[in-house]
Amino acid sequence: MGALSIRNVRKSYGTTEVLKGINLEVEEGEFLILVGPSGCGKSTLLSMIAGLDSITSGEVHIGGRMVNKLSPKDRDIAMVFQSYALYPNMTVRQNISFGLEIRKVAKPEREKIIAQVAQILQMEPLLDRKPSQLSGGQRQRVAMGRAIARNPTLFLFDEPLSNLDAKLRVEMRTEIKLLHKRVGKTIVYVTHDQIEAMTLGDKIAVMKAGEVMQFGTPQQIYDNPANLFVAGFMGSPSMNFIQCEVVTQNNALGIKIETGGQTHIVPTNNAALADYVGKQIIVGIRPEMITHKIDSQGDTRHFYVFDSHIEIAEPTGADTLLMITINNKVVVCRVHPDHARKQDERMSLMFDMSKTVYFDPLTELRIA
Amino acid sequence: MADLSNAQTQGSSRLARFAIYALLALVCLYYLMPLFILLSTSLKTLDDIRTGNLLSLPKQITLEPWQQAWSSACIGVRCEGMSVYFWNSFRFVVPAVLLSTLIGAFNGYVLTMWRFRGSEFFFAALMIGCFIPFQVVLLPMARTLGALGISNTVTGLIFVHVIYGVAFTTLFFRNYYISIPDELVKAAKIEGAGFLRIFWRIILPLSTPIIVVSIIWQFTQIWNDFLFGVVFSTGDRQPVTVALNNLVNTSTGVIAYNVNMAAAIIAALPTLFVYIVAGKYFVRGLTAGAVKG
Repeated sequence: MGALSIRNVRKSYGTTEVLKGINLEVEEGEFLILVGPSGCGKSTLLSMIAGLDSITSGEVHIGGRMVNKLSPKDRDIAMVFQSYALYPNMTVRQNISFGLEIRKVAKPEREKIIAQVAQILQMEPLLDRKPSQLSGGQRQRVAMGRAIARNPTLFLFDEPLSNLDAKLRVEMRTEIKLLHKRVGKTIVYVTHDQIEAMTLGDKIAVMKAGEVMQFGTPQQIYDNPANLFVAGFMGSPSMNFIQCEVVTQNNALGIKIETGGQTHIVPTNNAALADYVGKQIIVGIRPEMITHKIDSQGDTRHFYVFDSHIEIAEPTGADTLLMITINNKVVVCRVHPDHARKQDERMSLMFDMSKTVYFDPLTELRIA
Repeated sequence: MADLSNAQTQGSSRLARFAIYALLALVCLYYLMPLFILLSTSLKTLDDIRTGNLLSLPKQITLEPWQQAWSSACIGVRCEGMSVYFWNSFRFVVPAVLLSTLIGAFNGYVLTMWRFRGSEFFFAALMIGCFIPFQVVLLPMARTLGALGISNTVTGLIFVHVIYGVAFTTLFFRNYYISIPDELVKAAKIEGAGFLRIFWRIILPLSTPIIVVSIIWQFTQIWNDFLFGVVFSTGDRQPVTVALNNLVNTSTGVIAYNVNMAAAIIAALPTLFVYIVAGKYFVRGLTAGAVKG
């Protein structure tokens, strides 16, 4: 019996279908991320879990209860909004206590809860201020405090960090993760930021155009993307997609790549590619898998070294991103700054093909 | 060279500034002149009015006309001055203003935060209400008041003004509430607050600027109304505007211009007072929607 179970949920407005049959299961205490580009239906799905939006068909269960027909207040949830949605006319204390009053929690009990929440989020000095006197980060913290005070089965977060500046966002991200650890409740968190998704989630549902493209742990999604969209969406800088021809050489399968003026055949023992001999496929390789030459003692079977011409070099501090051309396509490589050569120079780059993924160019689905 | 052109632009901008102030002063003068004549005439004796001209200052200031206008001037057959009618006006203006504002706030709340099928049509229909001239509704309204059994009563007059004013107040509140993020209402819903509690505890406390706008607007409209007053009330129930008209039309030989002028100022005082007290909120409220809280 999961904390949240979404079964074949659909939503249509008139004839346009915005959610096309969503199925998700979340265990007690898990942190679920709904991630995807704008308009993919992730916020609509969250609204439907909250009960703010009706469901066209399908079922939503929270804590083992079917909640389709329950109003938001009876679903035992708390929600944190992008705009914080703090009541501007009330102090922080009143903001937190408003929901408790409605649920007829006695005054001494309310005081206790407010004190606890303030202590958890370290906002005791802010209790008597109005939201307009708080900074963005503080407002966000109050919004979370209001949710914690409710002590729900399920927390819902709707892009809570997207109104904050970059530095604060990273801080609050850590704070949310800490909060989850401390409170231990199930969280559903909507974001369009794939880094937030990777860092926070126990499970990620990558959505596109009203469908779940892939549902799994962050590492599964990163290492084993189900299709071209997921592969391109997760990870920054994003995965390189190179169009290559599948060939046979000495009775072994290989893919043909051309870089630095030379053509190479990279062997692959992936049997699934056999159907594609003589055809084009899309090879996906993450930037960190192309780096300077390392003398490794380990398994070097998947390592190939090619000489390439550096088109552009972009130092980021921690890494230097080098753009090279493979099969007439710009490919990003992530190289340690100490080993990176300069723009317009040549350099030997080592390709780690162990985590390379292959996609069908027509269906955009993973081949192997 | 740069200095020269700089000096030139400075000179021409000073000239432009002067022109603007001159124009403003002229407009001010134009608008204030009637008030000045009203005030100065109301302080003159009748002899003074006969001998002097319209613009001359009173030779000797007298408050006698004010006294007469307030408590002894003849309006129709009663010679008790404006005071009775002045309070009459208050008796229906205050409830009508408060009621129409409250209903407008409520309508605006429903039309923005609880949209229903056809709410856009409903709003459009209300908007049309703003353009319906008073004259059109006179007869149907008279019949309605008769049917409700409240013709020629204070209640009837309040009813008429509330009905007529709701179109405007709804428009004000709806346009104000549209800038309040609806996540606020969603958050309250999740916390279990109902329709009315959200209105009283969250939306209404945020509405001060627009409430002030609505009160000023409605007060001015209803206080200054003549037509509904003259049609839907009679005798000593009539509002101050109708009384003023009757005062001026009640001739007893000599026309007492000074008394008429004093009465006119008395009739206009409450609206002036409201503007002076709440005027800055009026402008602030009208522009408040543009700034996100």
